[in-house]
Amino acid sequence: MTPVQQALLVLLIPLISAVVIALFLRRRGGLATGVSVAAAAALAVLSLGLIFGGTRFESSVEWLRLGDFSLSLGFLFDDLAALMLFVVSFVGFFIHLFSVGYMHDDRARARYFGGLSIFMFSMLGIVLADNLFMVFIFWELVGFSSYLLINHYHEKQSAADASKKAFIANRVGDFGFLLGIILCYATYGTVNLGELRALDESSAVVAASAIPLLLFCGALGKSAQMPLHVWLPDAMEGPTPVSALIHAATMVAAGIYMLCRVEFLMVPEALNVIMWVGTITALYAALCAVAHRDIKKVLAYSTLSQIGYMVAAFGLGSMIVNDGGPETIIEAGVGAAMFHLTTHAFFKALLFLGAGSVIHGCHHEQDMPKMGGLARKMPITFATFTLGVFAIIGVPGLAGFFSKDAILLLAYQNNGAVFAILAISAVLTAFYMIRMWRIVFFGEARSEAAAQAHESGLSMTVPLLVLAVLAVIGGYTAVYGNLAGPLANLIPHSEAAHGVILVTSLAVMLLGGGLAWVLYRRPDAKDDAIAQKSPALFRQLVALQRPFDAAYGYYVAKVQQRFAMMLNFFEKIFLSGVIVRGAASLVGLVGLGARALHTGSLHTYVYWFLLGVALLWAIASGVLF
Amino acid sequence: MSELPFDPLLVAILSPLCAAVLILLAPQRFSAPLAWLGFGLPALLALHTWYHFPSGLGGDYAFASEYGTGLSRFGIALHLGLNGISMPLFALAGIVGLAAGLYALQSGAERLRLYLALLLVMQGGLMGVFASVDVFFFYFFHELALIPTFIMVGIWGGRDRHYAAMKLTIYLTLGAMLTLVGLIAVYVQSGAQSFDLIALRAALTAQPLAETVQHYAFGLLLFGFGILVSLWPLHTWAPLGYGAAPSSAAMLHAGVLKKFGLYGLVQIALPLMPFGAAKWVGLLALLAALGNVLVIGFVTMAQRDLKQMVGYSSVMHMGYAFLGLACLSTVGAGGVVLLMVAHGLSVALMFLLATSVHQRTQTFDMEQMGGLAQRAPVLAAFFVAATMAGIGLPGFANFWGELSIFVALWSFSPVFTVVAVAGIILSAIYGLRAAARVFFGSPTAEFARVAEAQAPADLRWAERVPALLLLAALLFIGFWPKSISEPVNQALSGSWAAAVDAGAPAAAIPFSAPAPVAVDAAAPGARAAAFTAVD
Repeated sequence: MTPVQQALLVLLIPLISAVVIALFLRRRGGLATGVSVAAAAALAVLSLGLIFGGTRFESSVEWLRLGDFSLSLGFLFDDLAALMLFVVSFVGFFIHLFSVGYMHDDRARARYFGGLSIFMFSMLGIVLADNLFMVFIFWELVGFSSYLLINHYHEKQSAADASKKAFIANRVGDFGFLLGIILCYATYGTVNLGELRALDESSAVVAASAIPLLLFCGALGKSAQMPLHVWLPDAMEGPTPVSALIHAATMVAAGIYMLCRVEFLMVPEALNVIMWVGTITALYAALCAVAHRDIKKVLAYSTLSQIGYMVAAFGLGSMIVNDGGPETIIEAGVGAAMFHLTTHAFFKALLFLGAGSVIHGCHHEQDMPKMGGLARKMPITFATFTLGVFAIIGVPGLAGFFSKDAILLLAYQNNGAVFAILAISAVLTAFYMIRMWRIVFFGEARSEAAAQAHESGLSMTVPLLVLAVLAVIGGYTAVYGNLAGPLANLIPHSEAAHGVILVTSLAVMLLGGGLAWVLYRRPDAKDDAIAQKSPALFRQLVALQRPFDAAYGYYVAKVQQRFAMMLNFFEKIFLSGVIVRGAASLVGLVGLGARALHTGSLHTYVYWFLLGVALLWAIASGVLF
Repeated sequence: MSELPFDPLLVAILSPLCAAVLILLAPQRFSAPLAWLGFGLPALLALHTWYHFPSGLGGDYAFASEYGTGLSRFGIALHLGLNGISMPLFALAGIVGLAAGLYALQSGAERLRLYLALLLVMQGGLMGVFASVDVFFFYFFHELALIPTFIMVGIWGGRDRHYAAMKLTIYLTLGAMLTLVGLIAVYVQSGAQSFDLIALRAALTAQPLAETVQHYAFGLLLFGFGILVSLWPLHTWAPLGYGAAPSSAAMLHAGVLKKFGLYGLVQIALPLMPFGAAKWVGLLALLAALGNVLVIGFVTMAQRDLKQMVGYSSVMHMGYAFLGLACLSTVGAGGVVLLMVAHGLSVALMFLLATSVHQRTQTFDMEQMGGLAQRAPVLAAFFVAATMAGIGLPGFANFWGELSIFVALWSFSPVFTVVAVAGIILSAIYGLRAAARVFFGSPTAEFARVAEAQAPADLRWAERVPALLLLAALLFIGFWPKSISEPVNQALSGSWAAAVDAGAPAAAIPFSAPAPVAVDAAAPGARAAAFTAVD
C-alpha cells in the first residue's frame, strides 16, 4: 500500500463507519459502538504507520473545474500534519474507548458513535488537506459534527440552544475565513499550501494583512477566541467525552493548526493582532474559570485560556527580528504553539476524561461543591487527574511545564506586557486548577451522590492511564522530538533567559496553587471560599462572564430580530399590498384576456391559452390564411 | 451514447402525459401503477441520459432528434436534445418528479386521480422544457407545466388558496408574457426565420443584434424570467404561493419549474445578447445582493410559518443564482447551474419534510411545535440533513454552487461578494432556528396537546423513499461534483464563453473590483478597467 492510499484509508475508514451506522445500526447501539471503536483503532494503527514510516508526501486530484476555477482535494503530509495526525488519531482512539463505558446506558448510543465517526472523518480532513478550499470544506464539517454532538441530549432546551449557538458562532468566523480564502485565490491564483509556500520563497507573496487577518477569523470561531468564544462554555452541554475530544484536544486546536499551515502568509501587523487576541483571551478566560462551580465549565474556560496561550505564542513568533535585516522570523511561533497544542491535547483530554469519570461516578453530578472526598473512592481517577492538574499548572518535569515555559520565554524576549499578562494568567491557572482538585477530591463527601461514588470501569480507566503517561512524558525531547521531527527544533530555548523563566514559572505556580490550597481547605457545599472572604470580588468574577452573552443576547433579541420583523412588515405592506394590487389593476387594464383572469376562474385561462395555441398553429400551418 | 431503441427524450416527455390521460380514463385501481410508470420512466431515462452523456461535446447537443410539427412556416419544429447545461436540469426534473409523484401517491389527497394527472402533465412539461432545443417549445412546455400549478393551488391549496392562486397566476403570467415578447423580439430581429436555438445562435454570432435592441430585449427577458425566479422585489408570489400550494406541486414548482427562468437566462439570453446582458448586470446584482440575499435573508428569519420560511429561503438562494449570472463568466454561470440542480433537490426535500411535519403537528406554525425529534427521530435526521444542504454545508450539492458563485463574484465585485458570503450566516441562523424550534427542546403546550390526541409516528417508508431519493442525489453530487460539473464546464467554456465575453467589457458594475494585485492576473483586466460606480 502506498502512503497516499494509506492516508486515503485513514480518511475514509471513519466515513465508512459513520455511513454504516447511519444506514444500518441505528437501533443497534452495541454494534454501532463496536464499529466506531474498531474504526478509530484501525485508523490509529494506520496513522502510526504513516507518522513513523517516515514518508512525507503531497498528492492531489482535481475535484471540480469550471472555467479557470479549479478545486482539488489532496493530501499534504508534512511534519506538521504528522504531529497533528498523531494527536487526533491517538487521543481520538482513547476517547472512543472511554466513551464505551461512559455512554453505556445511553439509548442513543448509535447516534453518538456515528457522530464521533463523522467528527474523526472531518477532523482528519483538516489535518491532511493540501489546500485552503479543502480545509474549509472539512472545517465546516467539523462544525457540523460538533453541532450534532453538542445536541446529543436534544430534548434539553439548553443543549439545543448551545448547539445552535456553536454552529452560528462558527459560521460567523467562517464568513471571514471564506472571504480570506477567496481573496487569497484571487490574489495568488492558488490556494494550494505547497504552491503558496513556493510563492513565498520566491518572494512573490504580497505583504497584505487582509488575507492573514481574514483567515484568522476562521481560527477565532473554531478556536473560540475573543470575541467569538461564547459558544465553547455552552458547548459543555454535550457528553463529556465529546468535550474532551472536540472541545479540548482537537477541534478547537484546529484554528492553531490552520494558522501554522499558512504561517508564510503572515505579516507583522496581522501577527500583532493575533498575539493580543490570544493574550487577552488567555487572561479573560482564566479569570472566568476562577469562580465557576460546574466542573466542566471550569475546564472549558481553562481550554479557552490555554488556546489563548497558543494563539499568543503564534503571534509572538514574529517579533524576533533578525539582526541582519528587516526580515521577521515566525517559525518560532509555530514551534511553541504546536508544542503547547500537543501537550495540551494530552493533559486537557486527560482532565476532561477524568472529569467525565468523576461525573459518571457521582451519577451525573457536575456541581463541584457537591463532590468532595473522591480521592479514596476513585483512586485511579484521582491519581491520573492529579497528574493532569500538575501538568497544566506547570509542575517541573511534566509536559505542560516545558511547553508553557517555551511560550513564556517567547513573551519574555519579545513583549514585556504580554509576558506579564501571561504570567498572571498562569497564576490564575494554578489557582483554579488546584481549587478544583481540592474541592473535588479532598475533604468529606458533601452530597449523597459523592458519598456513593465508585471507580469507573476498565474502558474508562485505561484511557486515563495512557493519557496520564503522555501528560507526564509528552514534553521531553525523546517523546516530542520523535513525534514532531524537525518541528521540535523550532521550540525556542535560551540559555541566558533560562533562569528567569524557571523562577517565574515556579513562582506563579506556587503562588496560585498555594493560595487555592489554603483558601479551599474546608470547602462549603453552598458558598465559595472567595465569596465568604470577599463577596464583592466574587460577584465581580461571576459577572465577568456575562457581558459577552448579554451583548449577543441583546443583539439577537433587540437588534437582529427587530430588524427582521421590521423588514418583514415592510415586505408584507409594501410588496404584498401596494405593488400586487397595483400590478393587478395594471393587468386589469391590459384587456379582455387579462380581465378573464379576474373572474377568478382558472379554467378560463386554460381555454384562452388553448385557443391561442390553436390560432397560432392554424396561422403557422396555413390553415387560416 | 444511448443504445435505446427509442428516443429517450421524447419518451420521457410523452410517458407522463400519456399516463395522465390514462389515469383519468382508467379505473381507480390502475392509478398507482400508472403513476409509477408516468413518474418512473422519465426518472430512469433522465438517469440514463446523465450516465451516458458523452464527454467532449463542447456546446453541442446529445440525444438530438427533430420532429415536424406543421409549423415550419414559423421555423418551429420539435427539436429535442440535451447539452451540458440542460442535461443536469433534465436529470433534476426526472428525480424531483419521481419524488413528488411518490409523495403524492401516499398523500391521500381528495380526488387523487385528478391530482396525479395534473402532476403528471406538469412532469411532462418539465421534461419538455429542458429537452427542447427549439425556443418555441421551450416556452410551450413551460406553460404546459405552469397551468396545472395554478389549478392545483386553487383546488388542493391550504390557507388563502384563492388569493394565492390568483396572485401566482397574475405574476407568473405576467412574467411569462414579458418573456414571450422578449423571445419573439429576438426571433424577429435575428432574421433567422427559426426558433431553433442552434440556428438562432449561428445567426446572432454572425450578425449580433444592435446594442439598443439587445438592451431592450435582454431587459424584457431579464424581468420576465426574473419574475418567474422571484427576483426581488418581484418575488412576493413565491412564499405565498408555496405556502398555499399542495406539497407535491410545491416540490415540482420550487424544485424544477422555477429553474426555467435561470435556465433561459443561461442558455438563451446571455449568449445571444451579451451586450444587453452587460447593460443590466449591475442592476441585477444590486437587486439580488441587497434584495434577495440581505432583505429576504432577514425576512426569512422573521417567519413563524415553516412552509413560508422554506419559500422565503428559496427566494434568498435565488439571489445567489442571480449574482452568479451577473458575473458573466463561466465560473459564475457554472455555479448557477450547479446551484439550480442542488437547490431544486434540497428545496423539494424541504417542502416534502415540511408537509410531513405538518401531518404530525397539525400546524405549520413553528411556535406551536418543539421536541418532535423525540417522537420522530428519522424525520428529524432528514430535516437536519435538508437544512444543512440548504445552508450550503460541504458534502451536499449546494455547497459547490455557492462556492463557485462566491469565487466568480470576487472578480466581479468584492462588495457584493462580502454581502453574498454574509448570507451564509443568515441562512445558518434561520435554518438552525427552524430545526431547533420544530424538533429540539421540550414540546410546547400546543404540540403536547396535539401529540396527546394522536401520537405522532416517525417517518413512514412511503415518505422515506422519496426523501431518500432526493437526499441521495444531494449527497452524490456533493461528494462527486464532477458528475455534473464536467458537462456544465464543457458547455459553458468554448463558444458560450466567447459569446458572453464579447459583451463583458461593456458591463456597468457597481462596486467592481479594483485592478487585482495578482501574481498571475487571471481575471480579465478589461473588466476591471471598466470601473464605474453606480449608486
